[in-house]
Amino acid sequence: MTSTFMGLETARRGMMTQQSALYVTGHNIANANTPGYTRQRVNFTQTEPYPAAAMNRPQIPGQMGTGVEAGSIQRIREGFLDLQYRGENNKLGYWQSRADGLSKMENIMNEPSEDGLSAVMGQFWQSLQDLSVNPENEGTRSVVLERGQAVADTFHYLHDSLSSIQDDLGNEVSVSLRDINSILKKIGDVNKQIGEVEPHGYLPNDLYDERDQLVDQLSQYVDIKVTKVKSEGKPSDMAEGIYDIQLLDATGKSTGKTLVNGSDYVQLGFKGSDNKLAYDPTGNIGDKDLKMFNSTGEKQVGELSLLNSNQEMSFSQGKLRGLIESYGYKTTDAGGNEVDHGTYTEMLDNLDQMAFTFANVFNAIQKKGYGLNDSSTPPDFFNIPAALTKDNYKDASKLIEMADIKPDQIAASSVPGDAGDGSNAINLSNLQGMELSSTSQKLEGTTDTIDLTQLSAIKNGSMQSFYEGMIGKLGVDAQQANRLEKNSDTLRQSVDESRQSVSSVSLDEEMTNMIKFQHAYNAAARNITVMDEMLDKIINGMGTVGR
Amino acid sequence: MRITQNMLSANMLKNLTNSYENMGKYQDQLATGKRINRPSDDPVVAMKGISYRNNLQEVEQFKRNFSEAYNWNENSDSSLDKATQALQRIRELTVQASNDTYDASQRDGIKQEITQLKEQLVQIANTKFGDKYLFNGTDTTEQPVDLTTTPPTVSTNNNPVKIELSKGVYIQVNADPSKVFTLDNSTTPPSGLFGDIDNLINKLSDPNSTGDDINAELGKLDGHLQNVTDARSELGARMNRIQLMENRVDEQEVIANKVMSDNEDADIEKVITNLKAEESVQRAALSVGARIIQPSLMDFLR
Repeated sequence: MTSTFMGLETARRGMMTQQSALYVTGHNIANANTPGYTRQRVNFTQTEPYPAAAMNRPQIPGQMGTGVEAGSIQRIREGFLDLQYRGENNKLGYWQSRADGLSKMENIMNEPSEDGLSAVMGQFWQSLQDLSVNPENEGTRSVVLERGQAVADTFHYLHDSLSSIQDDLGNEVSVSLRDINSILKKIGDVNKQIGEVEPHGYLPNDLYDERDQLVDQLSQYVDIKVTKVKSEGKPSDMAEGIYDIQLLDATGKSTGKTLVNGSDYVQLGFKGSDNKLAYDPTGNIGDKDLKMFNSTGEKQVGELSLLNSNQEMSFSQGKLRGLIESYGYKTTDAGGNEVDHGTYTEMLDNLDQMAFTFANVFNAIQKKGYGLNDSSTPPDFFNIPAALTKDNYKDASKLIEMADIKPDQIAASSVPGDAGDGSNAINLSNLQGMELSSTSQKLEGTTDTIDLTQLSAIKNGSMQSFYEGMIGKLGVDAQQANRLEKNSDTLRQSVDESRQSVSSVSLDEEMTNMIKFQHAYNAAARNITVMDEMLDKIINGMGTVGR
Repeated sequence: MRITQNMLSANMLKNLTNSYENMGKYQDQLATGKRINRPSDDPVVAMKGISYRNNLQEVEQFKRNFSEAYNWNENSDSSLDKATQALQRIRELTVQASNDTYDASQRDGIKQEITQLKEQLVQIANTKFGDKYLFNGTDTTEQPVDLTTTPPTVSTNNNPVKIELSKGVYIQVNADPSKVFTLDNSTTPPSGLFGDIDNLINKLSDPNSTGDDINAELGKLDGHLQNVTDARSELGARMNRIQLMENRVDEQEVIANKVMSDNEDADIEKVITNLKAEESVQRAALSVGARIIQPSLMDFLR
């Protein structure tokens, strides 16, 4: 026999449960525009029916339902999509930073245009041709000097601009590392909070959201693998557990380096060549090197190598690597020598090679000729520090200067004292196209030859083709980076769309639910009214026969 | 697939950004007239662009060099023309003087004229155009003939003045003065153009010289005339070659321009058509935007 008040209790439970569903609906609507928010759902479960199967159960027909309760409040989210999203976000981070660095470089090199390095050198070449035609003219000689100055200035400009962008990139590496470190710390903190809530059987949905969003952010910087570890105590079946985050390498394999382990986390440090880059608590990070520290930053717990044993880039893909690749990094080659790598480093190196070769070969050809009405060996045209050699030409593009040379000292002539001979000016103007691997480059107006291999830092081709190669490579690299940036952006967006499709709040849906729950609530309340009337009948209307 | 309001507005934003980006690209192409503005737009075009620009610059430079070649040639030719005239007049006078009936005063008149003509030849040999002497090989800043010194000097510089008129092609533009304006002080009496004329003048002033003596100078004069003519025909032949080369370089300029333009210039009709198409896409994206913010269920519930 059921109790008289059982219907009341059933209706009350119904009201309570529908009410909690309305609260969750309210929470969903309130967070409709919160980034990273996952819509939540109350899982309704029926309460135990009466009577429970037992030896001394009352003999009534069938089991009587006793109503509903809010079993759990669950996030509606698909873990697999998170995995996909993070993979694409990681690639996007890498290609975005790479495309950005290359695009800045393209802006500086400014080719093809009327005022890039090749145009300035072309004008210099033209002025030398004019000189070869009018070698006795002071005017054409002055033009050559001005144009030569323009070439040196252009080298300086390119060097300075590239170096300053490189420094900016270095700062960006440092900012990114700070960001990564703060994300790692936050994930550790959230892990800790979750670890305190879950053992009691609760689902800290909003903390899960926060943690997933942090992991999304982290995935942009480095490639990671998330492993879930069950909490202690009595966690709910739906509990997410604690995130362990491992660093993956370039091929997506685990490196065995753990970034976050429960509430424990590490901090990353890097130092640029100019000592500008931050997070070097122990002060022992080498030049352009990457290290791992414990959470307080006092103890170094690991080394993050950028290259594998085959000298190939093996560091985790992502924005961090993109930035480091642009900025530059150091490695040690088989011979134990330090080697510089990186997009900007390489471009600067190429420019240095060009500037060194240009100045050195130009001076050598200049020395083969004679100035106006002069039979003595002419002075250098360009100044380049004597310490620089064809194997050590660092900073040549920064150091190249016009020598203190007078117009009549330009060696236009191959015949000593003959003002009208312009053969050597032709030689000078031919420099751009000379095959630099030639050991006996013939010169006009003389039987002398010069050994270009001894003078040039560039091993093959001509200055012209070398420069074309530089620009070509830059173009191809930038094109690839732009394309893959676009691709990964599209892919990330489509995965994000799938994710949103599952997890984002639809206001229409929430409205519909609201009506549903409201009506259920009202009906349960009405049920109580019916119960009330029934009880009124029993209490006040019964047993008054004949009164 | 479940679609929510957030997704719609995010998509709309993405579409608008995309179409703005495309319009920006076409705007760049129209404003610069170039298909590419940075190497990554098309690395091959950019790379070729550099060498095509260099080619064009070269061709333009060679065209500039031609005017200087013409200067040399034409000035040398007209100077040598005057030298021919002077020599012919000398020859006429010599023929007259070789007539034994001419008395000393008549011969003196002829001598005077020949002396003047010799001066003229000196002036011709010292012709300057601009700041350079035409007939001193590559030593263009020094005067080649100076007869005031003892012994008189005539430069023997026969270095060719060469100008690059096409990649790797160097053309001599001056006449070889050592074959025309000569003086050989090593013989007695001195020979060469100026030596022979001096000799002639000496004979004219010598009362003992007979008509035959003077007549003997004619052969030498003929030789010098021939030298001048040879030099002129050499100049003429070279002039022809220069003209041929100029025609070729002119053609090259057209070709180089065309190649460069084919490589990197934007096809304006195409760009404008694309821009128009993109404009309509943009309008569509905007009007879709206006539609997706629809009244929701809320507006119908009270």
